[in-house]
Amino acid sequence: MAAQGIWNGTISFSLVAIPVRLVTAVMPGHVSFHLLHSKDYSRLARKMFCPVEERAVAPDEIIRGYEILPGKYITMTDEELESVSPERSRTIEIIEFIDMKDVDPIYFDHPYYLVPAKGGEKAYQLLVEVMGRTNKAGLAKFILAEREYLVAVTSKDGALALTTLHYSEEILPDGDLLPKKVSADPAEEARMEKSIKDMVADFDPGKYADGRRKKIRDLLDAKVKEHALVEAPAMAEKEEEGPADLVAALEESMRKVKESR
Amino acid sequence: MSRTYVDIDGRSLPLSNLEKDLYPSYGFTKAAILEYYRRIAPFILPHLHDRALTLKRYPEGVEKEFFFEKRCPAHRPAWVRTAEVVHHDTEPMTMCVVYDLETLLWAVNLASLELHVPLARTDSPGTPDSLVFDLDPGDGAGIPECARVALILRDLLSPMGLVSYVKTSGQKGLHVLVPLNNKETTFEDTKTFSRAVAGIMQRHYPDLVTARMAKTERSEKVFINWSQNDPSKTMICVYSLRAREKPSVSFPLEWKELEDLDGHSDPERLQVVHSEAVRRAEEKGDLFRDVLVKKQKLPHL
Repeated sequence: MAAQGIWNGTISFSLVAIPVRLVTAVMPGHVSFHLLHSKDYSRLARKMFCPVEERAVAPDEIIRGYEILPGKYITMTDEELESVSPERSRTIEIIEFIDMKDVDPIYFDHPYYLVPAKGGEKAYQLLVEVMGRTNKAGLAKFILAEREYLVAVTSKDGALALTTLHYSEEILPDGDLLPKKVSADPAEEARMEKSIKDMVADFDPGKYADGRRKKIRDLLDAKVKEHALVEAPAMAEKEEEGPADLVAALEESMRKVKESR
Repeated sequence: MSRTYVDIDGRSLPLSNLEKDLYPSYGFTKAAILEYYRRIAPFILPHLHDRALTLKRYPEGVEKEFFFEKRCPAHRPAWVRTAEVVHHDTEPMTMCVVYDLETLLWAVNLASLELHVPLARTDSPGTPDSLVFDLDPGDGAGIPECARVALILRDLLSPMGLVSYVKTSGQKGLHVLVPLNNKETTFEDTKTFSRAVAGIMQRHYPDLVTARMAKTERSEKVFINWSQNDPSKTMICVYSLRAREKPSVSFPLEWKELEDLDGHSDPERLQVVHSEAVRRAEEKGDLFRDVLVKKQKLPHL
């Protein structure tokens, strides 16, 4: 199955511009449930609720507020937000090339692949090959869905991988978390080193799976076999027909329509 | 921002970004859009008259984000007329009302490509001037299916003494309107009536019609959206442009055009674009004139 592209554009630096598609590299395998009304299994909808008026609020009555002080807001319109959003861009412009091993993994946010689009195959292959050989990653700014991301483009298994990075201001300072340095007992240190060595293995993620997810799946499979499916009543049952006179008149009129057709 | 001033009836109206192409894949600049509304003004103005206008603005063109604006912008010129409108028992909201060419062009200049109005006038918000059947085709259906449904509706209503009128939505569907123009019929009445009609249509034409909102129910069918008969809802105004790839128009049709469609399945067939809209309106006049004046009463309520 061809992966669905979430963005089309070009990746460029200096005089090179290669048409590419962005595809996501991971698919979180989350088992998701719908919320149903226990009485009749109708699918529940979310509504915004005003606790003062005790009623659901229509979308056109909803605005954004930023809480400055407890309960005191500055409101912000869509227009104002739009005015500070970056212009949409169709390019991933590489600003500099860096060594990936200098990047603390704490900066890694979300992994994607860049796949070549029509006409870009040759230049794409060349970039993959040269970046792989020199072991360099391209650092770029990238605008997706009105947000500006810092990304690292790397060569990976014959393709270009793109990883969105956190901005440094998003990384929480760790100063307070670090414990005070204490002198260790050499014998204890040696013991610990040995225990670690005894447990060394190659990283093989295929060995591990989300146990709870598998159990939920198994449980669902078993329940499907044993239980009849429940379903929300057809809306038709709740549809009101209307005043009896009107319905009779419409039926009569409908009879004539069908006769004449 | 580039600005050009035009004088209409002694009022100076600043127009901005005239060269900006708001329908990029078709090629239709803001200047062309303003020119469309200037030419169509004699036909659209009576339908905007006395109705609170909801702006649907596309500042960066039809392929980018839009937003609805119900509140009349505070930076409006002093001569823009407004009405205080109450939505759901809340504080009244100041909304624009278009009575003249300069207000129309001022609103369109805000990149409000689409003009939406309620079924009732500002002075009688609880009594709609017409009842509407909003025919919305699901996936796999289009204007030809809507046309079949519209013709059945016409024939169903006619023996009950009700004359109906049809226009394109300018998107994928059709709107069938039943003029009322009396101050006794309430939205509760129009909703009860349209809902009963939708139910009967669904019962007799289950493969063609659905009266249910659920998207999954609509596939290859026409959804008769009766819930538009509500004081809080707005409809695209007849002769308004739509923000699609092409500058298509919500345009009145003659029933004969629907009858002649028999067998054609091209979903774009009855679609009317800007230039054709101006030409046809100037040639035939306003086919929706009667929607504003014809007095009818819904029977059996």
